Amino acid sequence: MSGASIGLLAAFAPPLAAINWHSVLFFLFAVVACACAVAVVLADNVVRMAFYLVLSLGATAGLFFLAGAEFVGAMQLMIYVGGTLVLLVFGVMLTAQAPFVAIKTSSSDRVLAGLVGAALLVVLLQSAFRVDAWRRPAVADPGPPTATPLGMALLGIRVDEPAAGSPAAGGSVAVVRNGYLLPFEIVSVHLLVVLVGAAYLARAKRRRTPRAIDVAASSTGPETAAREARRSSTSALVSGGRP
Amino acid sequence: MMFCSAAPCAVALAAGFPALPLLAAAPFTTPVGVAHYLVVGAILFTTGVVCMALKRNALGVLMGIELVLNGANVNFVAFSSSYLRGEGAASLGLDGQAIALFVILLAAAEAAVALAITLNFYNNHATVDVDQADDLKG
Amino acid sequence: MDPVTQLPMLLGLAWLAPLVSFVAILFFGPRMGPHGRNAAWVATAAIATSLVLSLTAFGVWVGNHPVSAPVHGNHADAGHGDAAHGDAGHGSPAHGGDAHGPDAHGAAGHAGGAHADDGHAAGHAAAGHAAAGHAAAGHAAAGHAAAGHGPIAYSGDWYTLYHGGSLTLSIGWYIDALTVLMFVVVTLIATCIHVYASGYMHDELHDVTDHEVHLSGGGHLHRPGRFPRFFQALSLFCFSMLGIVIAGNLAMIFIFWELVGICSWFLIGFYYERKSASTAANKAFIVNRVGDFGMLIGLMALWGALGTLHFADSALPMAGGSRPGLFSLVRPASAGHALTVPDGMVKFAAADEVATIARQYADHPADAAQEVDAKVEGWRNRGFGRWLLFVAGVGIFCGCVGKSAQFPLFVWLPDAMEGPTPVSALVHSATMVAAGVYLVGRFYPVLTPDVLLVIAVVGAITLFIAATIALVANDIKRVLAYSTVSQLGYMMLALGVGGWSAGLFHLVTHAFFKSLLFLCSGSVIHACHTNDMRKMGGLARVMPWTAGTMLVGCLAIIGAGVPFVIGLSGYYSKDAILAQALSYSRANPAWSILFFAVAGGAFLTAFYMFRLWFMTFAGEPRDHHIADHAHESPDVMVRPLIVLAVFAVVAGWTLPGGFGLANLLEQARPAGTAVTSTGDYLFGPLTLPAEHESHEGSVHVIATLTAFVTALAGVLLAAAMYLWKTISPAAVATMFRPAYTFLANRWYFDELYNAIFVVPAHGLAAVASGIDRELIDPFIHGLAGLAKGIAGVDAWIDKYVVDGIVNATAEATWNAGLELKKLQTGRLRQYVMFIVVGTVAIFVLASMLFRAALAG
Repeated sequence: MSGASIGLLAAFAPPLAAINWHSVLFFLFAVVACACAVAVVLADNVVRMAFYLVLSLGATAGLFFLAGAEFVGAMQLMIYVGGTLVLLVFGVMLTAQAPFVAIKTSSSDRVLAGLVGAALLVVLLQSAFRVDAWRRPAVADPGPPTATPLGMALLGIRVDEPAAGSPAAGGSVAVVRNGYLLPFEIVSVHLLVVLVGAAYLARAKRRRTPRAIDVAASSTGPETAAREARRSSTSALVSGGRP
Repeated sequence: MMFCSAAPCAVALAAGFPALPLLAAAPFTTPVGVAHYLVVGAILFTTGVVCMALKRNALGVLMGIELVLNGANVNFVAFSSSYLRGEGAASLGLDGQAIALFVILLAAAEAAVALAITLNFYNNHATVDVDQADDLKG
Repeated sequence: MDPVTQLPMLLGLAWLAPLVSFVAILFFGPRMGPHGRNAAWVATAAIATSLVLSLTAFGVWVGNHPVSAPVHGNHADAGHGDAAHGDAGHGSPAHGGDAHGPDAHGAAGHAGGAHADDGHAAGHAAAGHAAAGHAAAGHAAAGHAAAGHGPIAYSGDWYTLYHGGSLTLSIGWYIDALTVLMFVVVTLIATCIHVYASGYMHDELHDVTDHEVHLSGGGHLHRPGRFPRFFQALSLFCFSMLGIVIAGNLAMIFIFWELVGICSWFLIGFYYERKSASTAANKAFIVNRVGDFGMLIGLMALWGALGTLHFADSALPMAGGSRPGLFSLVRPASAGHALTVPDGMVKFAAADEVATIARQYADHPADAAQEVDAKVEGWRNRGFGRWLLFVAGVGIFCGCVGKSAQFPLFVWLPDAMEGPTPVSALVHSATMVAAGVYLVGRFYPVLTPDVLLVIAVVGAITLFIAATIALVANDIKRVLAYSTVSQLGYMMLALGVGGWSAGLFHLVTHAFFKSLLFLCSGSVIHACHTNDMRKMGGLARVMPWTAGTMLVGCLAIIGAGVPFVIGLSGYYSKDAILAQALSYSRANPAWSILFFAVAGGAFLTAFYMFRLWFMTFAGEPRDHHIADHAHESPDVMVRPLIVLAVFAVVAGWTLPGGFGLANLLEQARPAGTAVTSTGDYLFGPLTLPAEHESHEGSVHVIATLTAFVTALAGVLLAAAMYLWKTISPAAVATMFRPAYTFLANRWYFDELYNAIFVVPAHGLAAVASGIDRELIDPFIHGLAGLAKGIAGVDAWIDKYVVDGIVNATAEATWNAGLELKKLQTGRLRQYVMFIVVGTVAIFVLASMLFRAALAG
């Protein structure tokens, strides 16, 4: 047996040396990302959906690293996964309903969505494989790290490529390429505005009718609580539920 | 899915069984190009769209939006990568990464606002079912 | 004190004062005191003002033209001047109707007349005065004094309404002694009657229950009083009457003629809710209108032939000189004021000959005119234009027949008694009905002897018919009404036989005593509340003043007096008429019947007047209920009676020195009428004796005695039948039953006219109404129905087709909207789906359409 396994290993040995680990990792991350994305769609429980999403976005960050965009990948992990998704999970918690309430879509909707999605996918893939330049494999050289140039660019100074006519490129004209200072500032202000707006929108108001979850919590058993919750939610719906 | 190597694989498969280990190893030996990234991006995008269209939970819709944005980001990063380019092909360079960065930021902002809206809706209607939000029904 | 300007101003103001009162009461009547009580005072004040102004004018006149007896020697001088005519007239009855013939004589007569003029009484002294030819600024005043042959008269125009071609319609005056006299008479009687009426009409000061109006539901009419309206109408009437008196041309007379007619209509129909009153008013107006038709023909004849309607000459401001008026045209000074057919009428009548001449001289029309003028004399001698002049005269007289209630248009006057008694007194005895006589008197110069004969005959017939009907009438006012008609016949007869002065004298005296009689009868009616004499009797005890004044009136109307010594006013005027009638019948023996008519009329007048008095006031009361309630009238009603009674007595007297009615009238005698004239026009030779000839000699004696005897006989017969009851009226009536019935039914004139005129008119009206109702109305209804049908169809089209299209469009739009609305489900997931599907579709489309572009 050991002889056979050693023999199998010997059979596979020569290709081992030729394994492109970049590609292996790429496929790994890609499969995880895609599978988890599909899982998000297929999951019913919103918490599970959130979890799958976290995995998917994490895998995407890996893909970024592999593509040579380390800074972006890091930002993805920090902001997207660590911030946005956490926020989303908070939202899930805040809008939690009694666990017995299941919101399901009808099968006709699912079929229709599936068909439409398939059509869209076909279109996108078609266009992905049309351009020859995109189908050639990558070169070996990964390129320099991008964090510093990105940072400088955000401050308004581009250092990745000299401008066409600048002395660094062999020209005689002192040309400075635009940076991303302005968009940076705008986004900052934008985030502030969003902060304020979101805080206002989601402020706590005095409720006329108690939330279903509170009613369910205050009453006796889980079934009556669910019934109460359903009844009060419908009544809240009927009355508009405005405080 | 792997159309690029499907043809030679199929041929190899037809050629002979002894070539199977080689074939099976094909994906792991061929360097990955932009097109692969685009495929991933397409899948993420489509999945996000389907999630938006399917989910009745508002938060599910938000997750779909995140997926969509991610798919777009993957595309941007793929185009900006000098590593993934073939010989003589131009790339977006730093611009692509900058764009991806900004997309992430704005996605965060948009997620915050969307969540605020959802919470508001939840406070008023005691539900996050988007199908209940049909007050604008004509 | 220039009478040329003063007289028109005074009389003009006197004429307009009642108009002011009319307008004031028209607008403010009901507000004048409680229930309009003071309207009576306003009207009375106005007419009293007129009286004062008239008296002032009278004074001015008398001051300028003193009234004195015409020295009868003068008449010889005047006769001298006219002797040429007179001799020619007397001597040769076969004058050939050409008063124009002795032209040379006329000229000599003129000169002689002028000299004789200086010896004339001062009455004509002012002739030189006036002959100086005043032309007051702004007024064309011509003082006429045709050298002793004509009256003193002032004429002029205030305002020209219309001046076109030869027609001038103007408001102007013709003032002579007659005008001034009439003004005084009319305003005096009107003032008395206004005062009387303010008491008589007191019933109208509060709501009135009219017992003679029977409403359909039974019961009597209850209506508010109409006190102011009475005086409003009375004022308008006075204004209109004075307008007739002062008028200087026939057009103005015609205007006010009609106006007087309307006022009469108003006043007769004052109690218009009574069918009898409103019918009587209509009858009066319509019958008058029949006469006015003839008057229009006369007016047309005059204007068409002569081109003017003015009485006197009027100055032509543009051309200078003067345009001759009717008097000058018909009685030209060149012919010694003898009646001549005027040139205009001759040419009009000889139109064929004129046309022949015009054709002959077609190239030089001026010569044609000369030729015509040369031939006019010859045509006149051959008689051209006589008929036209006759027609003109008879036409104008037709108007008088209507207005003065002569045969055959007298039927309205008795019915006019439906009006209140003051109206009967003022309008239908003293003034309006006298307007016809006045017009004949004014128009006298233009009337040919044939026309005058017609007038006399008509007057005689009227006199007789009316007197006979009055014999058997039982309504006190009816008796007086027929008496009025009869007396008007007297006046017409007098004028017709050449008694110009006599007729107008009787007009004035009749005005006084007839209005007195009517007012007394009003007093009686007021006391007894009935008009029926058969219910009266013995009222002299309870109403002494009324009885006394009425007795005075009765004596005046019969011409009572001491023969040859003194008498009441009627004595003188009746005498004058009888004398002139006798004179005429001597000159024209064929027409002696006229004298006997007058004499018979006098007898009948005396009889029925005293029948009236005896039945009302004498003997025992026939109805004790009435006699018990009868009482004397209040002072406001009795005082006018006394005033009028005084005038009824003295109006005929002439003061020593000559001031009197008769002499005053002589001042206004038209030119050429003071002498006997013979004309041979259409009915053979007729002689009109001069009036002054009837004042002396056997004529005068016979006339006076006849008057006295007939009056006495009448009074005695009346006394025998009604006072001493020796002859029973009932027995007489039974004995002459057919005659009695005939008279009691008023000669069946009303029935005759009803059959001849009223029934056919009603028939025609029924036919016309039937055509309208059966022919025209269905046609109109058919048209209307057709229009309705078309409208219905249109409505259907509009409702279902037009509206249908519009509604369908709207429905389609609405439904489309409803369908499109379904797109908006409000469901988020669906929207996402649409986005994706849309994106895919765009991609596919773009790739398919732009394949060539994308391939690069």
